[in-house]
Amino acid sequence: MKPLTRLAIFIVPLGLILAAVPQNTTNPYKLTATQLLEEVNTRTQFVSPETVADMIVNKDPVLQLIDVRSQDEFENYSLPGAINIPVADLLSDQYADALNQDVKMNVFYSNGTLHANEAWMITRQLGYGNNYVLEGGLNYWFENILNPQKPSSTSSDEEFAKYDFRRAASQALGGGSLVEQQANTKTASPKPVIKSIPKKKKAAGGC
Amino acid sequence: MGPLAINEIISENTNLFLAFIIGIAFGFVLESSGFSSSRKLAGVFYGYDMVVLKVFFTGAITAMLGLLFFSLFGWVDLNLIYVNPTYLTSAIVGGVIMGAGFIMGGYCPGTSFCGASIGKIDAMIFIVGLFIGVAVFGAGYDWWDNMYMAKFLGSPKISESLGLTDGVFAIVLIVIALGMFFVAEWAEKKFARKEY
Repeated sequence: MKPLTRLAIFIVPLGLILAAVPQNTTNPYKLTATQLLEEVNTRTQFVSPETVADMIVNKDPVLQLIDVRSQDEFENYSLPGAINIPVADLLSDQYADALNQDVKMNVFYSNGTLHANEAWMITRQLGYGNNYVLEGGLNYWFENILNPQKPSSTSSDEEFAKYDFRRAASQALGGGSLVEQQANTKTASPKPVIKSIPKKKKAAGGC
Repeated sequence: MGPLAINEIISENTNLFLAFIIGIAFGFVLESSGFSSSRKLAGVFYGYDMVVLKVFFTGAITAMLGLLFFSLFGWVDLNLIYVNPTYLTSAIVGGVIMGAGFIMGGYCPGTSFCGASIGKIDAMIFIVGLFIGVAVFGAGYDWWDNMYMAKFLGSPKISESLGLTDGVFAIVLIVIALGMFFVAEWAEKKFARKEY
C-alpha cells in the first residue's frame, strides 16, 4: 500500500468523526463541587463590612463594589462607586472583563447575602478570582455601619473601638439620619468606566 | 509549554529551559529528515522534492485533528489557544518577502540554523542575511509602522468566515491536503532529478 493511501485511510475517518459531532462550545468548569464546598465552608468569599467601609472612606482604588440587585434598586440606592451587574445579566459578555480580572477586588453585594453569594458562586465556578461578597449585605450595612448602636457600658474595649470606627465611617459615608434622605435622591456617584484588561500574553510560535 | 507557563504551574525559567530542550529536539528532527539541505527545501518550488509541503501540511493536519479531538473530549479549551492575530497587509507583504528569500536562499529561518549547525556555508550566509533583514526592519520601523499595523482583522478563523463548523472545515482541509499530496507525488515524478 502506498503511504498516501495509508495516510488517507487514517485521517479521513477522523475528519468525518469531527464533522459529524457537534462542536464542543462548553467552557470547562474550573472547580469541582468538592473544592467549591470547601471554599463555602471556610467562608473565604466574605469581606466584613468594616473592611469595605474602611476601603471606601480611604478611596482605595483596588475596591470595586458590584451591586447585583436589579437596576431599579441600584438607582434607588447604591454604595459609593458601585457598578450595577444584576445577577440575571451576570454572564452577559459586556461584564466579562469586569468580573474576570486580576487587578481589582470585586465585592458583590445585595440586600441580604443570597444574591451576592449566587453571583460569587457562578463566577467562582467559571474560575474567576478576586470576587468577594459583602458580609451581611446592605441590611447589615444599614444596621451596623450607618446606624451603629452604642454598646452597653459593660462591653469590652474592642466593642467600643468597633463602635467608634463605625460611627466615624457612618459620618464619612453619610449615614444616620441622612440615610432616609439619600434613599430618595438618586445617587449621582459617577459610574466608573469598566476598562477591559488585556488578556495575559499567550505563548507564540513560528517556523 | 503554553498552558503550564500561563497558569504559572511552571516558572518562566523552566519554560525557557523546556523551550531549549524542545528546540534541540525540533532541530534534530529537522536535520535528520534532510531539512538542512537547501536543495531539498528549494525543491518544493521546482517540483522535484515536495517533502517540505508534505511535512508541514501533515504537521498542520495532525495538530488540527489533535486539538479538535482534545476539545471534543473536554481536555482543551480552544478559546485559550493562542491564534496569531492577522494584519492582512503585513501578512501579504511579509509572505512575499519570506517566499522570495526562501527561493533565493533555499532556507527558511529555522532550517537555516539547522544547516549552519552542521557546517553548511550557504546556511551561515543566509543567517547573516536574516540578521541584516532584522536590523533593517528594526531601524526603519517608523517608515513601515503604518503598513505593518494596517488591516488588523483580529484572530479570524477560516471556518468562521466560511460559516462552517470546525469539524466540517477539518474534513474539507483533509481532502484538500490529500489532493495536494497526490499532486505533489505526481510532480515529483514529472520533475524528478537524480541528484540534488
